[in-house]
Amino acid sequence: MGGLFSYFRNLLGSREMRILILGLDGAGKTTILYRLQVGEVVTTIPTIGFNVEQVTYKNLKFQVWDLGGQTSIRPYWRCYYSNTDAIIYVVDSADKDRIGISKDELYYMLKEEELQGAILVVLANKQDMEGCLSVAEVHQALGLDALKNRTFQIFKTSAVKGDGLDPAMDWLSNALQNRK
Amino acid sequence: MTDSKYFTTTKKGEIFELKSELNSDKKEKKREAVKKVIASMTVGKDVSALFPDVVNCMQTDNLELKKLVYLYLMNYAKSQPDMAIMAVNTFVKDCEDTNPLIRALAVRTMGCIRVDKITEYLCEPLRKCLKDEDPYVRKTAAVCVAKLYDINAQLVEDQGFLDQLKDLLSDSNPMVVANAVAALSEINEASVSGSPLVEMNAQTINKLLTALNECTEWGQVFILDSLSNYSPKDEREAQSICERITPRLAHANAAVVLSAVKVLMKFMEMLPSDSDFVPTLTKKLAPPLVTLLSSEPEVQYVALRNINLIVQKRPDILKHEMKVFFVKYNDPIYVKLEKLDIMIRLASQANIAQVLSELKEYATEVDVDFVRKAVRAIGRCAIKVEQSAERCVSTLLDLIHTKVNYVVQEAIVVIKDIFRKYPNKYESIISTLCENLDTLDEPEARASMIWIIGEYAERIDNADELLESFLEGFHDENTQVQLQLLTAIVKLFLKRPTDTQELVQQVLSLATQDSDNPDLRDRGFIYWRLLSTDPGAAKEVVLADKPLISEETDLLEPTLLDELICHISSLASVYHKPPTAFVEGRAGLRKSLPARSGSSEAVHETNNANPTQVIPSQDSLIGDLLSMDINAPTPAAQNQPVTSQPVDLLGLDSLLGGVADTTAPPVAQSTTGLLGDIFGLGTAQAPAYVTPKTIWLSAERGKGCEIYGTFSRKNGQIHMDLTITNRAMQPMTNFAIQLNKNSFGVTPARPLQVVNPLPPGVSHECSLPLNTTGAVQRMDPLTNLQVAIKNNIDVFYFACVMPMNIFFTEDGQMDKRVFLATWKDIPAQNEVNYTLTNVQGNADTIVQKMQQNNVFTIAKRNVEGQDMLYQSVKLTNAIWVLNELKIQPGNPNITLSLKSRAVDIAAGMFQAYDSILHS
Repeated sequence: MGGLFSYFRNLLGSREMRILILGLDGAGKTTILYRLQVGEVVTTIPTIGFNVEQVTYKNLKFQVWDLGGQTSIRPYWRCYYSNTDAIIYVVDSADKDRIGISKDELYYMLKEEELQGAILVVLANKQDMEGCLSVAEVHQALGLDALKNRTFQIFKTSAVKGDGLDPAMDWLSNALQNRK
Repeated sequence: MTDSKYFTTTKKGEIFELKSELNSDKKEKKREAVKKVIASMTVGKDVSALFPDVVNCMQTDNLELKKLVYLYLMNYAKSQPDMAIMAVNTFVKDCEDTNPLIRALAVRTMGCIRVDKITEYLCEPLRKCLKDEDPYVRKTAAVCVAKLYDINAQLVEDQGFLDQLKDLLSDSNPMVVANAVAALSEINEASVSGSPLVEMNAQTINKLLTALNECTEWGQVFILDSLSNYSPKDEREAQSICERITPRLAHANAAVVLSAVKVLMKFMEMLPSDSDFVPTLTKKLAPPLVTLLSSEPEVQYVALRNINLIVQKRPDILKHEMKVFFVKYNDPIYVKLEKLDIMIRLASQANIAQVLSELKEYATEVDVDFVRKAVRAIGRCAIKVEQSAERCVSTLLDLIHTKVNYVVQEAIVVIKDIFRKYPNKYESIISTLCENLDTLDEPEARASMIWIIGEYAERIDNADELLESFLEGFHDENTQVQLQLLTAIVKLFLKRPTDTQELVQQVLSLATQDSDNPDLRDRGFIYWRLLSTDPGAAKEVVLADKPLISEETDLLEPTLLDELICHISSLASVYHKPPTAFVEGRAGLRKSLPARSGSSEAVHETNNANPTQVIPSQDSLIGDLLSMDINAPTPAAQNQPVTSQPVDLLGLDSLLGGVADTTAPPVAQSTTGLLGDIFGLGTAQAPAYVTPKTIWLSAERGKGCEIYGTFSRKNGQIHMDLTITNRAMQPMTNFAIQLNKNSFGVTPARPLQVVNPLPPGVSHECSLPLNTTGAVQRMDPLTNLQVAIKNNIDVFYFACVMPMNIFFTEDGQMDKRVFLATWKDIPAQNEVNYTLTNVQGNADTIVQKMQQNNVFTIAKRNVEGQDMLYQSVKLTNAIWVLNELKIQPGNPNITLSLKSRAVDIAAGMFQAYDSILHS
């Protein structure tokens, strides 16, 4: 039954999925956004504000919002929560010092009423860097074990090299389509 | 059920609806929603709550939607300063858009968002746009720098935008050059330091001149205006700039023409007056100015106001163009009045006949204001062009014969001036004037007529009757008329003393006893004293020769005129006021004409030092009167037989209620302190010692504000007595004073009251009562006081020393036993000795002198031929000081021993004793 429903939805294909890319500053959010959109690495400067782009992945249309991660901007993330289908949470695996802050921001965000139905993808980014945390370590550090009632998955990525993004997007597309 | 239901509403409201529409997926719906938001914003509804939602629509490829969002941002960014940061990234992206229109739009909007928090993020995009390949973007960015400078000047300087802006002056595109120039002038004017931040050099000026020929008309205005701020290094450069600008005079846009005129007027100052170029230029300036007068009335008015300045500075330019200033019947009144003004300025022997016949025509028009001014103009012509005086007077007489009320009144006012200018020439018409006495109902005309009667009292047989008729309604008259009547009757009395004594007594008593106007009363008293003490002097004062009146009474002050010439084609030149007078919050640079180089300097100087003889102002006249030594020779004067006059002219004493002592000025009892002060009357109780006024603030340091001051103690209160003198050229206003914390807590009891405004050259005496209830902070020396005086020009700080004796309170008399006990109680190390040298007088006179200054003598003993005085003093801060004076008869040196719990005051005490005993 679910399959049939999603079939029709694909057929109509009208509604864009609303996806937020969040994470601390310098995690690689903007790079990931443009990697997804144009398929190459663009030079980025710290995002003071936001970027929004249309991304088409395997015939699915996404409206992807990339919000700046600076401390001063984080309070305004909440303005973007409503009607969000999925969250891509980007973590800088090489930034061991701030992984705690990253965890706090994640849980603070997941508590929000408006995001209760949103699917979560955690990207352990910058895997190309030497001495970075592994996926399991990031999983551990973010305390994802404790997460309940949430469709989520963690992936290791390197936005600069383009590694790991496809599996993550594949999983996300499926998850969104199979959503009740 | 509770009443809370009334406060919850099921209706979500318009804002909510708009919010959901803004977040809609459909672009069409989104755009409609933003339009609705903008519409609400325009009619004044508060839609700031939608800020995040509108900002989220910002990243769109739809130009229309983007423009709308930018519009919203400009309006509400200020009310949502924190949230505005979310827009920054979009600006950054838009500044790199492929479409130059979007880049320019972004940079322009950025400049309009005045939020400190985000300005620093906007510097990078701005820097890029200043180097943009598209001239439209560069031009917009240049203007944005000026806007940014207004928000954060330091940032602009630190980021090097000024240099980038300067680079744009050599841009290949004239539009960019013009806007860069405009931005730079704006920045220079707003410069905090007051000095221009970017100086032009010959090279950039050359580039500007090249761009001048190619850019739009408004661009030309910008360039010309900034050229006018440039000072060429020599005559040759000035001349070459002038030559290159001259073609602009033929431009169709009035703003371009006037700006070009400004530059030429300014640079002409630098050219030697004997060069051939100046007359050529003068010739070239006339036609464009004349052309301006054929445009619409509003432009005409602006042109006329500017011409008014030009004519005052360089009458040569328009001297042959009198005809264009003739009034047309359908000119609006403001143009007519302004034209009249210029006509008078241009009037000369060559064209006076033409002008007079025009003016005579105008005097028969219907508009009252215009007719009045025309009549006045005839009078001014008479004064200005001597040869025409006769014709003017006969024209005025013709006008008087028309019996039109306001024409007659106006004519009489100007005839008074003509009498002043040409004495003993036209007095034959007085009888005609007197016929119209009854029709005069305006104060100025009445005052003028009375002045004429008083001045020519000896020729008018019934002068006394005429003046008496005015006297009947004395109290209903305007002050101006009252003063004039008083003076006229005194003049009459001095000329015909025999039969007018009653009249003068009547007017003096009306002025002094029944009037509450201080000016009138004071003048009355002065005349009264003058007449009763020395009629000879009275004659000299009242019937003194009057200085000639100047040809042009309403010329602008030369320095102001020069400044206004630099502001031709701006609001300042229309107002005839410097911009500082009406633009708030900008100190601004004061512009002045360049000094002529080399030999021509002297010419310039004589120009400025125009031999204008103006009637001395009222103040200085009164000053003269008061400085006369009225009091001293009283007895002598009264006994002196004066030739034809009765000695005690008016029997003042009986009038004033009979004061027995004739030597004492009779006014002493009937008036209060004011007059007493004027006449230097001694009051019964000798006043406390007051140190003479010393200079506290020199005119140099005070930017023309000079302050002399001292302190005194009057009626148990400390006063700061100030003499404030305005040595500057402009009136000073809004004086205020503040005292720093000091040892005695001295603080003003009320605000400083100074005549507002204080005209140039005038001194003002004021006494500021002080309390000792303020904050206390120990100063070194103890009696130091730091004062700040503020006026419209600046705030000035200075320090002065308060003499200790002003703190001696009236209740300083100590009981004998308490004195003795206290003396013993204070430890011996608190005793300080001091020798007062060269003191005159014995113990008794010292006791008396000190008593007047609240130093109370408790006991007096004679020990071994020495007089011992024990005195007590209480200071305002309740410190007691006990003093012992050792006086040896015949020895002018006195030993003073002092005991107090606070030894700090000793130095001040000695100083006070020293000053008092030597006073």
